[in-house]
Amino acid sequence: MANDGGRKQFWKRSGTKVPGSIQHVYGAQHPPFDPLLHGTLIKPGSKPPTTPVKLKKVSTFQEFESNTSDAWDPGDDDDELLAIAAENLNTEVVMETAHKVIQNHSKLQEQHKFLEEHLQEEKQVESAELTSVACGDNRLVKSVSEGHTSSSSGNASENSSMQRSQSLPQTSTPPLVSGMADFNTSVTPALTEREASRLDKFKQLLAGPNTDLEELRKLSWSGIPKRVRPIAWKLLSGYLPANVDRRESTLQRKRKEYFAFVEQYYDSRNDESHQDTYRQIHIDIPRMSPEVLRLQPKVTEIFERILFIWAIRHPASGYVQGINDLVTPFFVVFVCEYIEEEEVENFDVSSLPEEVLQNIEADSYWCMSKLLDGIQDNYTFAQPGIQKKVKMLEELVSRIDEQVHRHLDQHEVKYLQFAFRWMNNLLMREVPLRCTIRLWDTYQSEPEGFSHFHLYVCAAFLVRWRKEILEEKDFQLHHRSESSCWLYSSQIPVIPNREETCHCQNGKEGEREAGSASPQCAVRREMDGTGALLELLIFLQNLPTAHWGNEEVSVLLAEAYRLKFAFADAPNHYKK
Amino acid sequence: MSQAAMSETYDFLFKFLVIGNAGTGKSCLLHQFIEKKFKDDSNHTIGVEFGSKIINVGGKYVKLQIWDTAGQERFRSVTRSYYRGAAGALLVYDITSRETYNALTNWLTDARMLASQNIVIILCGNKKDLDADREVTFLEASRFAQENGKRIRSRKNGLRYSVWRCCLETAEITTKSTSTKCSGMWVLKKQNTTSNIFTLDTEAVRANGV
Repeated sequence: MANDGGRKQFWKRSGTKVPGSIQHVYGAQHPPFDPLLHGTLIKPGSKPPTTPVKLKKVSTFQEFESNTSDAWDPGDDDDELLAIAAENLNTEVVMETAHKVIQNHSKLQEQHKFLEEHLQEEKQVESAELTSVACGDNRLVKSVSEGHTSSSSGNASENSSMQRSQSLPQTSTPPLVSGMADFNTSVTPALTEREASRLDKFKQLLAGPNTDLEELRKLSWSGIPKRVRPIAWKLLSGYLPANVDRRESTLQRKRKEYFAFVEQYYDSRNDESHQDTYRQIHIDIPRMSPEVLRLQPKVTEIFERILFIWAIRHPASGYVQGINDLVTPFFVVFVCEYIEEEEVENFDVSSLPEEVLQNIEADSYWCMSKLLDGIQDNYTFAQPGIQKKVKMLEELVSRIDEQVHRHLDQHEVKYLQFAFRWMNNLLMREVPLRCTIRLWDTYQSEPEGFSHFHLYVCAAFLVRWRKEILEEKDFQLHHRSESSCWLYSSQIPVIPNREETCHCQNGKEGEREAGSASPQCAVRREMDGTGALLELLIFLQNLPTAHWGNEEVSVLLAEAYRLKFAFADAPNHYKK
Repeated sequence: MSQAAMSETYDFLFKFLVIGNAGTGKSCLLHQFIEKKFKDDSNHTIGVEFGSKIINVGGKYVKLQIWDTAGQERFRSVTRSYYRGAAGALLVYDITSRETYNALTNWLTDARMLASQNIVIILCGNKKDLDADREVTFLEASRFAQENGKRIRSRKNGLRYSVWRCCLETAEITTKSTSTKCSGMWVLKKQNTTSNIFTLDTEAVRANGV
């Protein structure tokens, strides 16, 4: 708990809750702060106009422009200023000046033609050079951003990865867990070097007699190398003390404490008062997605104990489905500490010494408890934390992407229908485990990462699919033209002669009757919306993220960071 | 979930709920209904999940929009918000757990209050293959259905009649699809053809019998 104090102090966020706090509101400038543009400013020279990178950027800018155009009243633009100016000008003067300009221009053009022929050759040489610079792009951009990482919470590095992932098609499907920390292990030696230097930084930081948690958070924000992740997570979650000398004793004490709980409570799992909790846990563990290790009996036992003890000690929430998922990342990361090989999936947990397994169990329990401390109201009666966050998400999305928001609204998609799971399981059902682990590097480096920052990640995640979400509409329009549907609902009054109307809807020309009267049309429109609703919801619940790796998560986090920066302390920003 | 419905046409669109206590096999039942396949790695549902299927009822194509809800008590406040506008509900209990059967009254009350008084209910006693551990008899469930069912008053060709037919069909499909895995293990009894609650025992969805 002493740690929390330190964290708060570091982030100096005490002012955020106070209305009217003096903070930068980046998004309030025109054009709003955008990491993509920002990224361009860093190295404008190295991008020749012909590379796909540039093209991509243009399109994103257009996207950006169309997204934000609503921030300005159409009236108070340049046109209006020009109109005002024109009123004060005499037409004759204007015409005269115009003539002069035209004459000047045609003279200049002749000169230009002459010059251009000479310049042509030079330019070709130059652009060839530029291309070669850009071809080294990944390494180059990355190393440039690396310099920024330590100074700006890794935001700059995320920016660059954003550009990269847009210019490079994702081809390989990474394995579930292995290589999750080592960004692109198989790419270039330069990257490995970069990773090595990152690892060194971590090691230096962790080696000192007192680990600077502030530094560690900065460094961890953009991902923790796999080798140091177990210890980094224990420090970031506040489980381990920053002082190296105190660590071992703390671990021993905490592990003892946990097993004392087990001794005290675990036998009561079949008692009248606790058997519901235990039974629920007992049936939930085997049916968790069989991603990693979990189906091994040893692992099942460990999970059951961790969850049962936590539930008993937190009676206000008890065990709620979804909490079981939250054990997995800790468990897997801590197991990785003892595994040399990359393949975690096929690892036999029971081959580990009993003592090691017990340590992993206790550490997972405590780290999960720390996490849950921050999001307890997600799981108490009526789940107010989730309800609140889903509302906030809706409000946020209405400000950051009105088009998507309106689209969902039109098709009667309620945020609670898809985002509930996003909040309840911290997106773990939506992305592969390796992505969750990477996501948690950042969550544990952010103040209130699992609650507050998660909201912005969810917003970025939803908007990430804007294209697909909006396309659903076109598909539905097409769909509608060939067929229509009737929704039976208790809300719709039963209209006599309904059977005949149904024939009309069937699209059979012969039976189509002219008199599809107006009340029926109204009903029909409502139902079409409901038809699209299902497609949208099915899409939103089965998002194609199976191939996702660090790249995608980094982009997501960068976007979330940007959104938080622009919107968190500006409740009226872009508000209609 | 099936996305095959994309290019198909249909005459009706019905919203169906799947409700009942946690662990009774709602998602597996739904999966079997849609994919006609047994699913043994079904994760517990958080909030709600969706499925759809087009079935033929008396020459009409009916698209069923199925809302598979989470069963755990803590999710109740959220799942209740999904009931609106449902025409039918698969009310699922586990024949090996009296507790899940005892909860039926609450589920039924919720469904009638939040969806519609006339919602058509298919009562599913699931996990028929664990007959040895049976705690709730079929007769008992039938009595529950009879006592709580409502007579349907509707013109033969009315829409409500279609819904009712549709539910009947759903019941049949559900039973048939589950029976493909282990034939002869299902019973479908319409104890009253005009009641709006059907009772059926479905085969267990968990092959390894947890």
